[in-house]
Amino acid sequence: MNVIEINNLTKIYNESEVKVKAVDNVSLQFEQGEFAAIVGPSGSGKTTLLNMIGGLDKSTEGDIVVDGVKIGELKSSKLIDFRLRNIGFVFQAYNLIPVLTAKENVEFIMELQGKSRVERDERSIALLSAVGLGERVNARPAKLSGGQQQRVAVARALASKPKFVLADEPTANLDSKSTETLLDIMEQLNKEENITFIFSTHDQRVVNKARRVITVEDGHVVSDERRA
Amino acid sequence: MKKTFIMAWRNIWRNKRRTLITVASIFFAVFFAVVMRSFQLGTYDHMIHQAIESFTGYIQIQDKEFFYEPSLDNSFEYTDEIVSSVKKVENVQVAVPRVESFALASTGLQSKGVLVTGIDPVKEKNLSNPENRIVKFRFTPEIVDQIIKEVELPEKQVELIKANENNSYSSFSRISLDMALDSDLEKILFPVIEQKASFESDYLNTNDDGVLVSDRLARYLKADVGDTLVLIGAGYHGMSAANIFPIRGIVKILSPELDNKLVYMTLENAQQFFSLGNRVTTLNINLEDPDEMVESQEDLQNAINNDQFTVKNWEEFNPTMKQQIEGDSVGGVIFIGILYFIVLFGIVGTVLMMIAERKRELGVMVAIGMAKVKLSFVLVFEMLFLGLIGTLSGLAASAPVVVFFNRNPIKMTGEMSKMYEDMGFDPVMPLAWFNDYFVWQAVIVMIMVIIACYLPLRRVRKMNVIKALRA
Ligand SMILES: Nc1ncnc2c1ncn2[C@@H]1O[C@H](COP(=O)(O)OP(=O)(O)O)[C@@H](O)[C@H]1O
Ligand SMILES: [Mg+2]
Repeated sequence: MNVIEINNLTKIYNESEVKVKAVDNVSLQFEQGEFAAIVGPSGSGKTTLLNMIGGLDKSTEGDIVVDGVKIGELKSSKLIDFRLRNIGFVFQAYNLIPVLTAKENVEFIMELQGKSRVERDERSIALLSAVGLGERVNARPAKLSGGQQQRVAVARALASKPKFVLADEPTANLDSKSTETLLDIMEQLNKEENITFIFSTHDQRVVNKARRVITVEDGHVVSDERRA
Repeated sequence: MKKTFIMAWRNIWRNKRRTLITVASIFFAVFFAVVMRSFQLGTYDHMIHQAIESFTGYIQIQDKEFFYEPSLDNSFEYTDEIVSSVKKVENVQVAVPRVESFALASTGLQSKGVLVTGIDPVKEKNLSNPENRIVKFRFTPEIVDQIIKEVELPEKQVELIKANENNSYSSFSRISLDMALDSDLEKILFPVIEQKASFESDYLNTNDDGVLVSDRLARYLKADVGDTLVLIGAGYHGMSAANIFPIRGIVKILSPELDNKLVYMTLENAQQFFSLGNRVTTLNINLEDPDEMVESQEDLQNAINNDQFTVKNWEEFNPTMKQQIEGDSVGGVIFIGILYFIVLFGIVGTVLMMIAERKRELGVMVAIGMAKVKLSFVLVFEMLFLGLIGTLSGLAASAPVVVFFNRNPIKMTGEMSKMYEDMGFDPVMPLAWFNDYFVWQAVIVMIMVIIACYLPLRRVRKMNVIKALRA
C-alpha cells in the first residue's frame, strides 16, 4: 500500500511577469517505511514539491493522494487538521516555538490533537530521550544548539504519530557533526519504528544515508533509484 | 486552553520593554482619565449638592405661568390636596413649600436687592437646612490679629487665616478645610477660635416674626443680630409690601451668589408681608434617588393631575447650571477621548510589530497543524493581558487618589477660587466617589483591545503559510 501517490503534479508560479514551472509533471509513489531523499541543486523545485506533498501549497495541475484522500480537494481548515493528524514537519531552521520548552514544544502538537496529559507527558519524554535530549527537556529553544533544536523538531514531528515525516533540508544550517547525529537518529527511528521519512537535501553525505534517492532538476524527476 | 494562556503570557514578556511601554501608556491613560473624570463629576456633584440638593430641590411644583414669569402673581394656593398628591409619589423624600420674591433690604446704612425666602422653619431643615448654616464663628481683621498673636501658627496657616479675615463659619470642619489644618493644629487653634470668634445667632421659631440674613449680605448691610431690617417690595397683585423685621441670626450659605442676597423668614411671615394669603410660589422637592428624577417628575405630574400646575426638574428651572455642567463634561470627555485615541494607536503599533516579527513562527504553527482560530486566541489573550495589566494597575493606582481627595476635598485658591465664586459656587473640589466612570475606563480599554485585535486576526485568517514560512 502506498502512503503517498503523486500523479502528474505540476506547479507554475506566475506571480511575476515570467512564469516559473517549479515542478513539472512529477509522478511518484511512497510506501510505508521509506527513507527517501529528494536531491537537486538549489532552485530545482525540492521545496515546492515537499510543500505540496505536505498540503502547505496547492498544485497547479495533478493531484496528491495521501492514505486515499486527495489533499488538493480539502478546504483550508480541514487541511490544517489533516496536516495535524497525518504529517510531521521538520523545516530548515527556527522550527520551534521560542516561548515553549523542548518538552512543551513536543507536547504542543499532541495537545492540539487533544491527547491526554499522561500520554503527552510520557510520549514527549520518550521522544526527547530517543533523539538524545532526555536531559534537556526543560530547556527553551534559545538555550539549545542548532542541532539540538532540529532534534527537538524531529521529536515534535513524530509526536503526532504521523503517516510520514517531511523534512525540507533539515541539515542545511548544521555543522557536519550535528548533521551526522541528526541523520543517525532519523535512520534509527526509521528502522526501529518503521517511520516514513522524506527529506530534501543537496548535501552528498546526507544523500549517502538515504535508501531511495529521487533526483530533481528544473522541476523534473531525472532519476529515482532505490538502494539496499 | 491553559497552554494558550501560558503561551500568550510568555509571549508578551518576550519584549519586556515594549510590553512595559504599552502597559504604561494604558496605565497612564486610565489613571489620568479616572482622576480627571472623578474631579469633574465630583465638582458637578458638589455644584448640584450646593445649588440643587440643599437649596432648590431636584424638582419644583409651580403654577404653570410661574415658570415663564416667576412673580408672586403666579403663586398658587397651598392646599392639603396638593400635599397629599405629592406624598403619593414614592421617590419623594421631602416636599417643602416656599415663598420666594425679591425685595429691597435696608439697614439705614446700606440697601440692597435681596431674595426673600419664606420657609417652614421645621420642614426646611430637610432641604436647605438653614439651622445648620447658622454662623457660629465670625472673623474680623481684629479678631484674626488677636488669634495670630496668641497662637504660633505656621506661615501657611497665617496666610490662610488672613485670607479669611472677613469670613464666617457654621462649623469647625469648614474652618479646618479653609485653613488646611491637621489634627494637631486643630487642637491648638480651635479653642482659641472658640474663645475669640464665637458668634451668637439664633434660628427661626415656628411663629417667628424675625429674619435670618445670609453672611455676605449681612456684612454688606452692616447688619448684626438684634438689628432691624427694613424690607420694601411689591406684594401679590401689586399690593405694597413694607415692614421691619428683627434680625434673629446670620446664616453662612455655601454658594457665594446666594450668600450675597438671601433673607429667610417664616412662610407665614412672608405670606403676610406679600399679602399672599396661603399662597406659595413653589413646592420644592428632594428625591430619595435623584437618578430617577425624570420618572418621578412624570409621576408627580400624574399624581397632581391638574393643569394649573407644572412640575419642573432642576435642569429645566436652572438651565444655566445644566449647560455649565454639560459643556464642561463634554470638554472632559473629548480630552479623555483624544488621550485614549493616542493610546489606541500605541496598542495597534505594538500588536503590528508583535505579529510582524513573529511571522515565520506563526507560519510554522499553522503548518504543523494549529488551527487559525486557536492561534488567534493566543494573540487575543496577549492583547487582553496587556490591556488588563494596564487597566487594573491604572485603576489600582487611581483608587487611593480618589479615596483621598474624596475625603479631603481640594480647596481652590487664587484665580481658580475667584472664578468659582463668580459662577456662584463654593471653590471646593471633592473627587466623586467610585461610580460608573470607574468601570467605564476598563470597558473603554477592552474595546480598544478588541479594535486592536482586528488587524492581527485578519492577518492570521488571511495568512499564506508558504509566504510566512519563507519570512
Ligand atoms: N513563491 C514563488 N514565486 C515564484 N517563484 C517561486 C516561488 N517559490 C519558488 N519559486 C521558484 O520555483 C523554483 C523552485 O524553487 P524551490 O522549490 O524553492 O527550489 P529548491 O527548494 O530546490 O531550492 C525556483 O526557480 C524558484 O525561484
Ligand atoms: Mg528549498
